[in-house]
Amino acid sequence: MRPIVVVSASKGITDLLLDVAKGRKEVLKEIENRYTSIAREIGSFKLVKRIEEELDKLRRVAEGVGIADSVLTDYILSYGEKISKIIMVQALELNDIRAFELNATDIIVTNNTHGDAVIDYPATAIALEKVYSVIKNHSYVPVIEGFIGRSFEGEVTTIGRGGSDYTATTIASLLKIDKVYLVSDVDGIMTTDPDLVPTARLVKHMSYVEALEASMYGAKGINPKAFDPLVKIYSSNLLIGSWRNIGTMISREISRDFIGPKVIMLKDAGDYAYIAIVGEGVSSAKFVRDLLDTVVKLGIDIKGIQAHVHRPSIVLFVDKSRGREILKILHKVIFEGDQP
Amino acid sequence: MKIAKIIIIGFGNVGRAFARTIALKKKFVESRYGVSLSVVGVADSKGMALKSDGFSEYELLKLCEVPRSGVNLFSPYAYNYVDLKYMYDMVQPDIHVELTPANYVTGEPGLTNIMFALTRGAHVVTANKAPIVLKYKELLEIAKKRSLQLRFRSTVMGGTPLIDTIMSLRSEEIEKIEGILNATTNFILTEMHDKLIDFEEALKKAQIMGLAEADPSLDIDGIDAAAKLVILSHVIGCSISLDEVKRESLSKIKLRDVVEAIKEGFVIKYLAYFDVRRRETYVRIVKIPKTDVFAQVNGSLNAVRIKTDVGEILFVGKGGGGLETAHSVLDDVIAIAIGSEGGMR
Ligand SMILES: NC(=O)c1ccc[n+]([C@@H]2O[C@H](COP(=O)([O-])OP(=O)(O)OC[C@H]3O[C@@H](n4cnc5c(N)ncnc54)[C@H](OP(=O)(O)O)[C@@H]3O)[C@@H](O)[C@H]2O)c1
Repeated sequence: MRPIVVVSASKGITDLLLDVAKGRKEVLKEIENRYTSIAREIGSFKLVKRIEEELDKLRRVAEGVGIADSVLTDYILSYGEKISKIIMVQALELNDIRAFELNATDIIVTNNTHGDAVIDYPATAIALEKVYSVIKNHSYVPVIEGFIGRSFEGEVTTIGRGGSDYTATTIASLLKIDKVYLVSDVDGIMTTDPDLVPTARLVKHMSYVEALEASMYGAKGINPKAFDPLVKIYSSNLLIGSWRNIGTMISREISRDFIGPKVIMLKDAGDYAYIAIVGEGVSSAKFVRDLLDTVVKLGIDIKGIQAHVHRPSIVLFVDKSRGREILKILHKVIFEGDQP
Repeated sequence: MKIAKIIIIGFGNVGRAFARTIALKKKFVESRYGVSLSVVGVADSKGMALKSDGFSEYELLKLCEVPRSGVNLFSPYAYNYVDLKYMYDMVQPDIHVELTPANYVTGEPGLTNIMFALTRGAHVVTANKAPIVLKYKELLEIAKKRSLQLRFRSTVMGGTPLIDTIMSLRSEEIEKIEGILNATTNFILTEMHDKLIDFEEALKKAQIMGLAEADPSLDIDGIDAAAKLVILSHVIGCSISLDEVKRESLSKIKLRDVVEAIKEGFVIKYLAYFDVRRRETYVRIVKIPKTDVFAQVNGSLNAVRIKTDVGEILFVGKGGGGLETAHSVLDDVIAIAIGSEGGMR
């Protein structure tokens, strides 16, 4: 079987559309310019016309409403992914890959919590089944919008920021597809924010619980909801990276060799900053002891510590002004093999 | 396997939803009914695409991706003009599916197209109401003469088998038909009640959500609902004309009226009504008690209550929407393809 492609809006578009929904009509121009220039670059008459058509509709909606309510906001937001889809299909076709558009609103059924809807798996499974019977014996590549769905009332919904991952994992788990590639402009999940620590490296393997824990501590990358279908329905492997390199694999379980710290993060929290170290095994007595030994040896001043045996994380509270420095030191010790 | 050759005339919302539905359900229909649905021609207002051995599922899906009025871009099967005669000569369709816009003054282009189809020996399925509203008797006569079927189940309460059910009531006498027959106006009223917004704002929302017909006056002035009453009158063998239906426009409703009604424990609805015996028929704004069944029918749902000499039947369901309408059209197409009788009165 050929892959199924789930697309997001192009970079920054969702924010611009949100502005439109809030009544700032002037940003429409920018959205139009961006998409029109992509369409021209790809250079297909049909594509230019299709995009103009969608932009016309968007303009009519935007000009029709002052400040959109949650239902209309979702409707407006859906144009980002919709236009991406049209572009992606055309781009694939120009590369001799037979692709076609699937409408997320025909397939992804959600509840009516606009802005942060939850996918209804049984209803979505029924819709997917039909599509699957058409594509499974053919070499056509279906392209579907991520992030958007349709409520039982028939309204367009959105499933939360980073929702395309959630769409992808839902489709994969319902169709029992083993691999989900989450492709963006970074090569994978990094041990820490490379802007803060230039020596950050890629994390090769992670388990679902580790990735979930990291996202709960605010790691960029994956929407926590994306794990829901993987845990409940079918455990596909997530492969995360860019077109250059797929650096990280996240699977239900990781082998014993990979137990240990994966990611270290710095966040501000009120008066303090906290440093969270995430990985299965880091809340074990041995890891905590070793970590504290290091802290003592290096003379790091900590304000508090938090760890639970059933959670794959340990959190150190530190002085705000020293956060970055401590992050760097701990990253060196934990991930770069430095002896304290 | 039996093959049913289909042409689709009118390729807008419903046309595309229909093509997509066929593409996705072709295998299912083949295994369940033993007929293969083969779309051999498609036309919009600017051009047509023809393929006498039938478009593949993939081609159908790709057809749905052409811009509006863009069927003529679907190379290598495309033509830059619409010529039904040429189309019929080329692809010899068995079933003509008419999905062009409704014009209640002339009936065109649907009327001429359907006449043509029948004279060329094709069965007809239409979602376009106008030809049925204006020339039901004439069309049915031609169809009967040639043993052809004329089906239009999607024209009233597209998402429910209302027309089929009424046709099957052979021994009952129908005395009264009343209901909420237009999704757009019901949506507008629901929005006004729930969110306490003005008529104009609610209308705008209906248009944005793609509920309203391209020309909203068809919905708001009650023409669409009246047309549906006329079609139902034809079906029960007691035809009325569109002019006979007295219409009150919903556009005069004010938020003030809604608020007042709510205070008094009422709900405002836009009801279509046909008293068969007295030949009294209208579409108008009414205040009904909150406990009335019609008061619970909200949003884009429709409902019809039919009173016969035996009892009452109530239908509630999706009124329209591209996908729902497309399925009703497909139901008609399948019924013809497997050779079930039309059952017209
Ligand atoms: N939408 C619903 O939920 C619904 C429900 C029940 C019934 N209906 C009825 O179904 C019909 C179609 O509705 P729709 O929503 O699909 O309308 P639509 O989107 O406006 O589509 C109408 C299509 O007919 C084409 N057309 C116009 N004149 C033509 C001609 N002379 N020859 C060939 N094609 C022609 C148009 O061509 P262009 O693309 O070139 O403009 C367009 O493709 C209408 O009669 C409507 O009342 C609709």
